Amino acid sequence: MKNKIIMFWVIVLIVIASIITIFVKPTKLGLDLVGGSRLVLEAQPTQSVVEITPEVMNRLQFAIESRVNKLGVAETVVQQTGDKRLLVEIPNVTDLKEAKAFLGETAQLEFKKEAVNKDGVTEWVETGLTGQDLAKSTLTTDSVGHWVVSLEFKAEGSKKFADLTKELVGKPMAIFFNGDLVSAPNVNEAIYGGKAQISGGDSGFAYEEAERMVNLLNAGALPVPAKIVEENTVGPTLGADSIAKSKVAGIIGLGFVMLFMLAYYRLPGLIADVALIIYSLILFALFKAIPVTLTLAGIAGFILSIGMAVDANILIFERTKEELRAGRNLFTAINSGFDRAFTSIFDSNMTTIITCTILYLLGTSIVKGFALTLALGVIVSMFSAITITKNFMHLIFGTGELKYPQLFGLRKDEIGKGFEVTETKRENARFGILD
Amino acid sequence: MTTDNIAKHIIDIVKHRFIWLCVSAILLLPGTAALIYSAIHNENHVPLKVGIDYTGGTILQYGVKENISNSSLSKTRVDLQSIGIDNPYIQILHANGDSQDGINNIISIRTKFIGEDQDTVNKITEALSKDYENPELISVSSVGPTLGNELFKNSLLAITLAFLGIVAYLTIRFKFDYALAAILGIAHDVLFVVGAFSLLGIFYDVQIDGLFITAILTVVGFSVHDTIVVFDRIRENLRYYSKKMSFGEIANASVNQTLARSINTSLTTLLTLLALYFFGGVTTKDFVLAMILGIAIGTYSSIFFCSVLVDIWEDHKNNKTPAEKTTAAI
Repeated sequence: MKNKIIMFWVIVLIVIASIITIFVKPTKLGLDLVGGSRLVLEAQPTQSVVEITPEVMNRLQFAIESRVNKLGVAETVVQQTGDKRLLVEIPNVTDLKEAKAFLGETAQLEFKKEAVNKDGVTEWVETGLTGQDLAKSTLTTDSVGHWVVSLEFKAEGSKKFADLTKELVGKPMAIFFNGDLVSAPNVNEAIYGGKAQISGGDSGFAYEEAERMVNLLNAGALPVPAKIVEENTVGPTLGADSIAKSKVAGIIGLGFVMLFMLAYYRLPGLIADVALIIYSLILFALFKAIPVTLTLAGIAGFILSIGMAVDANILIFERTKEELRAGRNLFTAINSGFDRAFTSIFDSNMTTIITCTILYLLGTSIVKGFALTLALGVIVSMFSAITITKNFMHLIFGTGELKYPQLFGLRKDEIGKGFEVTETKRENARFGILD
Repeated sequence: MTTDNIAKHIIDIVKHRFIWLCVSAILLLPGTAALIYSAIHNENHVPLKVGIDYTGGTILQYGVKENISNSSLSKTRVDLQSIGIDNPYIQILHANGDSQDGINNIISIRTKFIGEDQDTVNKITEALSKDYENPELISVSSVGPTLGNELFKNSLLAITLAFLGIVAYLTIRFKFDYALAAILGIAHDVLFVVGAFSLLGIFYDVQIDGLFITAILTVVGFSVHDTIVVFDRIRENLRYYSKKMSFGEIANASVNQTLARSINTSLTTLLTLLALYFFGGVTTKDFVLAMILGIAIGTYSSIFFCSVLVDIWEDHKNNKTPAEKTTAAI
C-alpha cells in the first residue's frame, strides 16, 4: 500500500508539472486552425533563365518547399498561382523577417575564373561549376580557428573541380554566393578528392554568416531568384466560424463520453473520467513542450488516441467485472483484470506505434502531424490506464470483498455465477490466489 | 470450469459464418460498384470526386470595409453553396498596413476552377453583396494543388510500408493467419469508406479533400486496434480451452466475451464524432463522416469478418491435417 501512496504523489506532481507547462508555453497551431502569414513570391527571369517555364516553376516550388522544411516551420503550404507566382503560407512564424530573407535568397553558389573580354577588361566568367554539383556542406573551423564552410562535391562535381583547379594553378579562382564575391584565393595545386573549403576572405566569416550559408547550400539553390510581391496575414483555412463551432462540439462529445463511462461503469467509470482528464493534461503539455504544430489532422490523431485511452479503461473494467462475477475479492479482481487486459492493450498499441513510426518517417506533412500526435497519445494512454487508473482503483477500493456490487454496475446475484476463469499455477501465485 | 458457461453467447459467428461473409459482401458491393463506375466515367479515371486540394482551383479576393464576424462568415458560406459553389475555402486576410480606399479586410475564396467564366464570378460578387457593403473584387487567380501527385504517391508508399509493419508484428505476436485476417479487415473497412464516398460523390457531388487521407488513416488505426482485442481473447482462450473445445467454439466465445467492450469503445468514440458532426463546423463535416462510417464498419469487421476468416482458415487446415487438430493453439 505504501508504494501506491508514493505513486499517487508522483501522479500529482506530473499533473502539476503539466498544468504549469500548459500555462507557460504557447500553443502552436497550424494554418488550417489559426492562420498565419501569406507571402506571394514572383519568379524573376535572369540572364541564363530568360523564360519562366512551368518546369522552372516546378523546380522553384520544390526548392522553396525543401528550404521551408529546413527552416523547421512545420505545416507550410507552397502552391503555384498564375504563371510565375508561388503562394507560400506559413503558420504563426515568430520571426517573419527571417523567413522572408530565407525564402527570397537564391543561394546560388558559383565558381568563376578570370577572363579578358572583348573590350580588354578582365572580368569573372562562369566555369560551369555551381552549387548544384555539391553533395553537402558543413560548418567547420580551419587551423587558426576561423569559421569555414566545407564543401563536398558529387562524383561529377569532383571531376569538374579537379579539372578547374588543374587549369587554374597559379591563378585566382573566385567563389560567388548570391552574386556576391565571397573570396578569390590563388590556386596552388590541382585538388583531387572532391573536397574544398570556403573561408570568408581575410576577415573570416562571422558564425551566423557561415551557418546561414551552410543551411542555404544544403537546402539547395533556387533555379531563379524569387521576389516577395505580396504579404498578408491570413485567417484559418478551415474558417474561423467552423473552428469555433467544432470546439464546442468537441467539448460536448467528450462530455457525453464521460457521462457514458459514469453511467455504465459507475465508480470505476468516475475513476476513468479523472484519469482521462489527467491524460489530456499530460498530452497537451507534451504537445506544447516538444512543440507539436497542431493541425486538424493532428487533432484527429488526438481524438483517436482518446478513443484508445478510453478503450484501455473499458478493457480493464470489463475484465475486472468478469473476475468479480467469478467471485474474486477486490484486490485480486483488480490485479488480474489489469493483467489480463494488458496483453490486448499492449499489442493493439504497439501496432499503432509501429504504424505511426513508419508514417512519421516516410509521410508528408498531413500524415506526419497525424502520426506524431497519435503515437504520443497512445504512449501516454498506456501510462494513464496502467498507472493512473490502477493506482486510483487500488487506493479507493482497497482490499477485501466487494460489499457494494452496484459500485461496479453489477447485481448481487451475478457474483459468483459467471464463468470461472482458469489460471495456471504460475498465474495463481501472481494474483495471490491461495485455493 | 464449465465449458458450457464460456460457450454461452449472444451472437453465433461460427454457425452463420457464410451469412456474415455475405453481409460483408452486400455492404461492400454498392461502394465497389460506384468506384468502378466512377473510375470509368470520371475524367482522369479517378474513382472519387477530388476537391481543390488535389486539383487546384481559383482564388477570388474581395476587399470589404467592415470587420467580419464568424456568423457573417458562416452566412457567406451558405450563400455561396446556394449558388452552386461547393466546398469553398473561405479565409479572411488582414491587409497589412495600407488601409487605403477604406478596405480593412480581404475575403479570400478558394473554389474549383472558374477560369474565364465571368458569369460565375458575377454570381459570387452578387452573393457577397448581400452580406457586405460594396465588396470590391481585387483579384482572380488560379492556384495549383496543395496535394500534388508526388505527395499523394509518397503517402501511399508510407501506408503500404505501415501495412507490412503491422503484418510483421502480428505474425510475431500471433500467427501469420491472424496478420492476414487483420490486413483484410483493414482493406474491408477502407474499401467500405472509400466506396461510400464514391457513392456520395455520384449522388450528392461530395468531394474528398486533403483531410480524407487523415480520415482513412484513422479508420485503419481503429480497425487494427479493434481486431487485435478480439484476437487477443482468442489467443488467451486457446491457451485454456484448446483441448476441450473446437476452434470455432473458442472463436465464438471470444467474440462474445469482448462484445461489451467492442460496443462500448465504438460507442464512446462515435459519441465524440457524432457531436462533431451535428454541432461542429461545416468544413470538417465530410472528414468526420468518413471517420464515423469507418469506425462503425471497423467494429463490424472485427466481430463478423476477421474472426470468421480466422475460423474458416483454421477449419480448413484441420480438415487437411486431422492429426494436428489438438495443436491449434498458438
